[in-house]
Amino acid sequence: MQTLQDLILRLSEFWAREGCVLQQPLDLEVGAGTMHPDTFLRVLGPEPWRVAYVQPSRRPADGRYGDNPFRLGKHLQFQVILKPSPHNIQNLYVRSLEAIGLNLADHDLRFEEDNWEAPTLGAWGVGWQVMLDGMEITQFTYFQQAGGLELPVISAEITYGLERLTMFLSQSRSIYEIDWVEGIAYGLVRKQEEYELSRYYFELADVAFLQQSFEGHEREAQRCLEAGIVLPAYENTLKCSHLFNVMDARGAVSVTERVALMKRVRDLAIACARAYVESREKLGFPLLQRKGAADPAQETTETRETSEVADAR
Amino acid sequence: MRGEYLLEVRSEEIPARMLEPGVRELATRVFEELMSRGLGPSEVETGFTPRRLVLILAGVPERETDREEQVMGPPVRAAYAADGAPTQALLGFAKRCGVAPEELSRVTTDKGEYLAAVKKIEGRATSEVLAEIVPRILAGISWAKTMRWGSGEGPWVRPVHGIVSLFDGQVVPFELHGIRAGDESAGHPILSPEAFRVDGVAAWRRELASRKIEVRPDERRRILLDTMQSRAQELGGRLMDDPALLEKLVAICEIPGVMEGRFDDAFLELPAEVLATSLRDHQSAFTVESASNGSGKLLPCFLTVMDRADDPKGRARSGNEWVVAARLADARFFYGEDRKAGLAHRAEQLHRLTFQEKLGSYADKSERLAQLAGAICDRLGWKDEREHAVAAARLLKVDLATEMVKEFTSLQGIMGGIYAREEGQPEAIWQAVYDQYMPASTDDRIPRGRAGQVAGLADRIDTLVGIFGLGLIPTGSKDPFGLRRAAQGVVRIALEGGLALDLEAVAAEAARLYGDRLKRSPQQILDDLRPFLHDRIRFLLERAGSTYDEIEAALAMGSADLPDLRARVDALHRVRESADFLSVVLAAKRIANITKDAAAGQPLDESLLAEPAEKDLWSAFKGLRSEVEEAAAAHDYERCLRRIADLAPVLDRFFVEVLVMAEDPKVRQNRIALLQAIGRTVNRTARITEVVVDKAEARAKLPL
Repeated sequence: MQTLQDLILRLSEFWAREGCVLQQPLDLEVGAGTMHPDTFLRVLGPEPWRVAYVQPSRRPADGRYGDNPFRLGKHLQFQVILKPSPHNIQNLYVRSLEAIGLNLADHDLRFEEDNWEAPTLGAWGVGWQVMLDGMEITQFTYFQQAGGLELPVISAEITYGLERLTMFLSQSRSIYEIDWVEGIAYGLVRKQEEYELSRYYFELADVAFLQQSFEGHEREAQRCLEAGIVLPAYENTLKCSHLFNVMDARGAVSVTERVALMKRVRDLAIACARAYVESREKLGFPLLQRKGAADPAQETTETRETSEVADAR
Repeated sequence: MRGEYLLEVRSEEIPARMLEPGVRELATRVFEELMSRGLGPSEVETGFTPRRLVLILAGVPERETDREEQVMGPPVRAAYAADGAPTQALLGFAKRCGVAPEELSRVTTDKGEYLAAVKKIEGRATSEVLAEIVPRILAGISWAKTMRWGSGEGPWVRPVHGIVSLFDGQVVPFELHGIRAGDESAGHPILSPEAFRVDGVAAWRRELASRKIEVRPDERRRILLDTMQSRAQELGGRLMDDPALLEKLVAICEIPGVMEGRFDDAFLELPAEVLATSLRDHQSAFTVESASNGSGKLLPCFLTVMDRADDPKGRARSGNEWVVAARLADARFFYGEDRKAGLAHRAEQLHRLTFQEKLGSYADKSERLAQLAGAICDRLGWKDEREHAVAAARLLKVDLATEMVKEFTSLQGIMGGIYAREEGQPEAIWQAVYDQYMPASTDDRIPRGRAGQVAGLADRIDTLVGIFGLGLIPTGSKDPFGLRRAAQGVVRIALEGGLALDLEAVAAEAARLYGDRLKRSPQQILDDLRPFLHDRIRFLLERAGSTYDEIEAALAMGSADLPDLRARVDALHRVRESADFLSVVLAAKRIANITKDAAAGQPLDESLLAEPAEKDLWSAFKGLRSEVEEAAAAHDYERCLRRIADLAPVLDRFFVEVLVMAEDPKVRQNRIALLQAIGRTVNRTARITEVVVDKAEARAKLPL
């Protein structure tokens, strides 16, 4: 199990078999897979949901011009949401590691407390960082609140850092040396992009334009909310969030502005969350009507019988 | 042994910091509830692993003892009809109590005669009691943070997976968040995940032991520490002392295995503090100090825990070594970048770091600190140290902008000190920066040098005044800015550094330096800050052996200059046992009583003194007043108090022979004025009336 591509294929296959919708990445810049509407909005309300997807995640300030072997301004996350969180979720997760070729009987796997909080999304959760032989390979979170709303049904979020995991499995000394696919190194695919994104985010981005854009997207988000359309409102909110990150990386956000800008993004995210729950309610929570989805508890009890005793391998 | 109860709750991994308090609360509450029912166990054992909470009781009685309870019924006058026949009230009461009407007795109370029934209450079986209390106590454990899962189950610390609950081999049934208690347990989730049944404590212990699972944290601690120490010794070194890290390792494994790894010698060029912090913070690993020299040099190896007994294929080791190499390469990168940039360049970035939203940036803070450090030196008359203290104060927060501190916040201060040293700053300056967070704990020492003490004091006072100035005073357990620790630091630095300094004037200066940022006036801030500091002062002085009343007495006469306060408390402690001093205390209490309603500062007219006892008192007092003042000015409070104690015989005579409340108002007022003057001098060291006198002790010592 050496290439990034294999990892994506095997994880996709594994989680598809667990009933996940294999979603595609959001076609907007986001800082994490959590911001994809199929996570941030779907975890709200009572509707059951299972989804898995790869999300390119941009953290402009983490860019290192392609020079640092361990840091990227844009990395890939493999994101899984299981809602409601099934009783055997940890066991499923362990089996997903076996699916990518790890024989866990030879390794040291530990779940260490690591709670997650995203103030700009009004969201927090409780969970662990999963340590494999001393390496953090996964963030595992039970969502408790999102968009400022208490969640009636709890989602489990599993986020694999794909580059790191590949790097670890192949014991590479640099992200850029891992194989995307055999014969084509990650660096060949992405190094130039890392360099150019760093140049742009740190040196070139036009601050005045970023500020105007932030305000423009904020207005658009508000207009959409007034018109009662949630997803475009949320997409414009994500635009604001990304623009804020770029301004921050550019060193253009002062102490006082910082707090104020984060609050503006947060206010939009919270408004989107409320509007989304309302709009789903108006539709009668369609995913609840799905056959077999009415009683998620039933589903978990069934898996429970087998999980504890038999699911070791 | 009979009367044995086994409780094992298996869940997903509980955070390390919550395990010990959680299991302690469980055991305490179960024990208390059993005791209150006469079911106290003879032995209580607890244990935990990240996935298990364990409570084992032995010698629990089998059932509660039967008891009788008197139940009051209707008054006798309502119990019988005119013809003497029982009324409905009587019959209904008897029925409710389950006794025949003729078994009711009569009880006379204040309100008249009543019927009463003796109800026999059969003691419940212990398993029944356990089935009621254990789930309630488990559900009610006050975890630092709880969660929900699934379709809203919980709240609890983590999802529950299985419960063993056996009393003498029989299942004590109950349910916790959808999981039924039974007799089934399971091993390590990866190495021995199969479920197994047990019929009691012995079988359960055996099963876990065969899977190498150790539920006793003390035993895991012993094994980990012994193994790591002996490995360190074999490697020619000494395991770094880190009790907090050891506790963490104990709480993140159920099989206490030690993992040993090495890193490239080339990384030893990094400062030892950086290596140790990186390994501790990122890998929860111990470093090993070279035994050959006391220079604090590290060996290129580390030791940590793995949740398994061995590592036959070396995967845990090679994985950890790979991660450590990556982490140290990262640290080396930061170290290189920081040294390239230099502290002067980092200082320019401080305006982008918020100290507190309303209090501005760290650039603002640095400027205030430089000013405040200068002001402190001026007050102390420290001319030679001034330049270094001001420079250190300005440099204090610069490392917040370094890559290393952004990565390892715990290196704050230390890193700035290291960089300042490498840039060739004088020792006084780099040490001041390095030591700025000292004392970090009650056992930690204060900054080494005077510049460090001044800078550390300035930093904490600036923070305290700023946050108090916004009205954000810590309450209960909420103290997000660490103000209690800051206050403790202020008190300890002033006390142990012997900084004879008016802290209230320094705080007022700090408030002035904030300009118009603060919401509250300097006076309001001082009024809130004073009691806050007093709490730390009381704590520290009591710890040093002073008693509560000595501290209160001294605090009442001012607390701005802490070494002076300390001198006054100590003096009081030394003289309070002498007989003459005791009599001064009693006299002081009388003086306070007599003068409490009089306007302060009445003028004394010597010519009005008539009685010999009052004349003698006045002349004795005049004779020692200036000496007391001199001693006080020299902070020699013991001499102060001893001279005052010399007044005891004349004071005693005065109270015996002179009536203060004379009929002539002029005479009366004059005597009050005399006592007021004496009172002021008596209180020069401390408000003597606060000293608690044991009456019996006083009687034994006083020559009455």
